[in-house]
Amino acid sequence: MTHEGMVHALRQAHRLLKPDGVLIDLRPAAKHRQIGLGEGKRWKFVAWMREDLTDDRAANRSVRRAAALGLFEAEAKTEFDLDRVMDTLDDFREWMSDFPSGKLPPEDERLYGRVERALAKVRPGTRIVARGPLSLVVLRRLDGPTK
Amino acid sequence: MALVIDPAGDEIKALREAGNWRGKHVLEVGCGDGRLTLRLAQLGARSILAIDPDAALVRGARKALPEPYRARIRYQVGSVERLRRRKDLFDIAVLSWSL
Repeated sequence: MTHEGMVHALRQAHRLLKPDGVLIDLRPAAKHRQIGLGEGKRWKFVAWMREDLTDDRAANRSVRRAAALGLFEAEAKTEFDLDRVMDTLDDFREWMSDFPSGKLPPEDERLYGRVERALAKVRPGTRIVARGPLSLVVLRRLDGPTK
Repeated sequence: MALVIDPAGDEIKALREAGNWRGKHVLEVGCGDGRLTLRLAQLGARSILAIDPDAALVRGARKALPEPYRARIRYQVGSVERLRRRKDLFDIAVLSWSL
């Protein structure tokens, strides 16, 4: 979605909310994910995922634009890590293949290689965990665009 | 594929802290397979209209919807741009990984 398309979507959300309604924008933060092994506190970093963050940054700009237009006012913002836990390298490949074309850089094979080598050094059954920050912004609906 | 998303439940904790969901009419934009929709219902939303442009995902979400939630959750194929103006507006709209 383009920046303008995102601003349009925010206008449509504004249209569908009650006057004192709230919009919650929940999505991956514009930061790279980390791949590691092990769950919870046992998680150990293996490699960064260098995905293209252009769309994520455009989404941030569109929220700022919607605020500048007087559609919403940011009330709260938080970031927290979200883990995706995968059993095998094949699961990891399948998850990576779900990313839109162009979102991931062409050096994916190097990343697989690093994860595969790291997996070979730990006990069998250790899971692959992709850890990335999610952003949650609470936006209070305002009366409408300022002229 | 064996994939578990958010085993620690951090996403729903953050949503719980983001506002008071009890008795609210909620619009979820980009519901996908309904992973988050059920959790929003568990926070106490009175009704949830969950939309997604992917018809296959919406079909799957409908199929997997447990009986106790059927009166409160409605899945619909569509986008926020194409949703008609309603008399009963929403208290909360969630852009669920959709912006």
